[in-house]
Amino acid sequence: MRVKILRKEAAGAPSFWQEFECEAKPNQTVAGLLEALNGEDELRDVNGTIVSRIDWECSCLQGMCGACAMVINGEPALACEVFLRDLKGDVVTVEPLRKFPVICDLRVDRSIIYENLREANAYIEEYEGSDPKEHDHQYAAGKCLKCGLCLEVCANYRKGEKFYGAAFANDCYLINTRSSLHKDEIRESYKEHFASGCSKALSCIDVCPMKIPTLASMAKLNRK
Amino acid sequence: MKDKKEILIIGSGISGLTCAIESAARGIHVTLVSPYPSERAQSVLAAGGINAVLHKKASEDSIECHISDTLKGGLNIAGKEAVRGLCEDAPQIIKWLEKIGTVFTREDGNVAQRAFGGQTYNRTCYCGASTGKQIVTALIMEARRYECMGLITRRNRTQFMSALIKDGRCYGAVVFDEASGSPEVITADAVVMATGGQNCLFGKTTGSKLNDGYAAGRLFMQGVDLKNLEFIQYHPTTIRTAQKKMLVSEAARGEGGRLYYKDGDRRVYFMEDKFGPKGNLMPRDVVSRCIYETGKQVYLDVSFLGREKIMKRIPEVYDLCMKYIGIDISRESIPIEPSVHFFMGGIAVNLKHQTNIEDLYAVGECASIYHGANRLGGNSLLAAVYSGKVAAAAIDDKAERREDVLFDEELNAATKALQEEAGGSLTAEDVRVKLASVMNANLGIVREDSELLKGIEVIDSLISECQGGLRGSSYERYTMISVLTLARAVLVCARERKESRGSQLRRDYPDTSEDYGCATIISYDGGDFSVTYDREGRYES
Repeated sequence: MRVKILRKEAAGAPSFWQEFECEAKPNQTVAGLLEALNGEDELRDVNGTIVSRIDWECSCLQGMCGACAMVINGEPALACEVFLRDLKGDVVTVEPLRKFPVICDLRVDRSIIYENLREANAYIEEYEGSDPKEHDHQYAAGKCLKCGLCLEVCANYRKGEKFYGAAFANDCYLINTRSSLHKDEIRESYKEHFASGCSKALSCIDVCPMKIPTLASMAKLNRK
Repeated sequence: MKDKKEILIIGSGISGLTCAIESAARGIHVTLVSPYPSERAQSVLAAGGINAVLHKKASEDSIECHISDTLKGGLNIAGKEAVRGLCEDAPQIIKWLEKIGTVFTREDGNVAQRAFGGQTYNRTCYCGASTGKQIVTALIMEARRYECMGLITRRNRTQFMSALIKDGRCYGAVVFDEASGSPEVITADAVVMATGGQNCLFGKTTGSKLNDGYAAGRLFMQGVDLKNLEFIQYHPTTIRTAQKKMLVSEAARGEGGRLYYKDGDRRVYFMEDKFGPKGNLMPRDVVSRCIYETGKQVYLDVSFLGREKIMKRIPEVYDLCMKYIGIDISRESIPIEPSVHFFMGGIAVNLKHQTNIEDLYAVGECASIYHGANRLGGNSLLAAVYSGKVAAAAIDDKAERREDVLFDEELNAATKALQEEAGGSLTAEDVRVKLASVMNANLGIVREDSELLKGIEVIDSLISECQGGLRGSSYERYTMISVLTLARAVLVCARERKESRGSQLRRDYPDTSEDYGCATIISYDGGDFSVTYDREGRYES
C-alpha cells in the first residue's frame, strides 16, 4: 500500500508530502500502519531515501484517549479506529488536523480547547446533585476525549475566535446540570461561545468517536 | 522564603490529578507536569470499577471484609495498615468523586455495585464500563477550578528526566521541555511521582504506550528503593488484535460471564469445575494461572446474558469486540488470553507515600503498597485516588518551605547528555523490541531460574551495547539505560524470590514459602543490585 503523509519538521517549517510503501494488512488500522513504518530499522521513503521517523501522538491505541486524531483520506478520524480494510484504493493519505497548529508531522497543539474552558470557568465547584433523568446524557458527555475532531469538521470554528465548538458545549451541559454556583454563568458562556455561532450543520455529532449527543446538550442549554 | 508551599507532580492521570486537587485545596501551589493532557493518561482505560463498602441495606459487607479480601487477594504480603487506610477511606472517596461530578451508575437511588474477582460481596462501584474515563473527566474539571485560581499550573509537553537529590533529600526535578527541546530545572518543596506502570518493558500490554517505566528506572539509579517488582499482573481476559492486547473488563465475568475451553464438541467450564459457581471470579492471578494450565484456547461466554443486558451493562465490551475482532458477543464467545496488565510492584513507599528519599513521594500505579502479590479488580482506581489524597495530606503536614537551591550542575549535565551524538548501529526501536521479547519470553506467567538468569544476561548485553552508542531521538537515547536497568531489577527480583505466590509462579519453586512472606525491596548502588526482604515492615509505618 502507498502511504502519503503530510509532514512538517517543526512549527515554523514548510509542510511537504512524503510517500512510503508498506505492506497492508486488512485488519490493521492506520495507527498500526504508522507504528509499522516507525518500527522499521531504517525508515525509507519510496525513493529509498532514509528519512526521520514520523511524529504522531499515540497512547491507548483503542479509541479511548483521543490522541491520534488526524485526517485520513480527507476524513478526520482517530487513526486507531480506521481499518485499512475499509479504505478505498491503494493509496492512503494522512495529514495532521488542519484547525490546530502543527507541532511536528501529524502532532498538533490542541491546548486551545483547554484554554477556552479555563477562560469560561468551566468547573462545577458546588455540586447540587443531579436529576436521574440526566444520567445517561451526562455519562455520554463525560466520555468526551477532547480529541478536537468536532472542531476540525466545524464550519464555524476558527482558532482564536469566540466560537468554541462542541467539546465546549458538552462540558457546559455537564456543569449547567450539576453546579449550583456556575449554572447561569456557564449558560451565558455557552450562549456567547457556542449558541450564537453554531449554524447547526451538526457535523460534530457525526464525527465524534464517542457518539456524544451534542444536539441534546444544546437542546438542554437552549431550553433552560 | 516563599509564601506558599510549592510542589511538583509528575504525571496527570487519576493519582496525579487527585494529589494536585487535594494539595491545591490546602493552599499548596502545584506544578503538574505531563507529556500530554490527562485525557491521554492510561487511567481512562480502567474499565471495570472502584471498590468501596457502602453499607447498603440488606448487604452484609463490611470494611473488615474489604480489608481481608484485599490482603488475601494479595497473598498476605500487602501492608496491613496501608490496606486498612485504603478500605476505610473508600466510602468517602466514592462520595467525593460523585460530588465533583463522576457519573456513577445508580440503582434504586444508590451507587450501583457489582461483583468483581476475589471479593466476598458485590462492592465494585462503576460508571458503565468506562469508570476510569468518567473519573478522569470529573477530576480534570475539578483541577480546572484550581487552575483558574492559579493554584495548579499545568505543564504539558514536558517529560521527567531526573530527580534533584542532595544528601537524601529531593529538591525538585530536571524535566525535558519539548517546546524548547531543552532540559529545565523545576525546584519544589516536595515532588510526587505519578507516572503509572512499566508497560513498555513488555512492548504492547493492555495499557498505554506512554507508560515506559523510565521514571522508576531513573529514580532507582538515583537511590530510590523499589519494591515487589516481580509481581506483575496478567489479566486473564484480553483479546489479541492487530495493534495491541485489549482488555475485556472483569465486569463481563462480574455480570455472569463464563470461561471454558473446548474438548471436542463439549465445553469444559474449568473454573467452575475447580472452584464452584463463583470460579470465574477468582482473583486474577488464579484465573490466569488456570487458563495457562489448560494449554488450550480459552473462551469467555456472555452471550447467554442476552443482547439487551449486554448493551445495558457492558456495552463497551460489545463495541470493543465487534470493532477490533469482529465478534458479536451476544451471539459468539470471545477467544481470550492472559496478558500483562498491571504492576503491583514499583516505587517503595510508606503509609504516607513517602519514598526513602525525603520529600519525594510516589502515588498510583508507580508506587507499591496496597496490592501485595496480586491486585483485586476495582482496587487500582481506589488506590490511585486514595494515594493522591494521602500524599497531599502528608506534604501539607510535613514539607517545609525552602529557599531555592541552585542545581546548575545537574542542568548542565542533562543538557550535555541530551546533546551527545547518536552513534553505533543499534536503534532505540531495536532495543525496545529486544527488551519486550526477552521480558515476555523469560518473565511470563510461569518462571524458572535458568530463564530468568538468561533474561538478565540479555539485558546486561543490551545495556553494554547501548553504552557503546545508540541511535534515536535524544530523549530516547537519554532514557534507555534507565529503562533497561529497571527491567534488570524486575528479573533480579523474580529470580531472588524462590517461591510461588500470587502472580509470581515458579516452575522450580512451586510452593509458597514463609521465608518470603513479606515485600521484596531492591536497591541500586553504583551498578550493584541488592535485594532484601522487608521482614520488619519498615515501609509499614
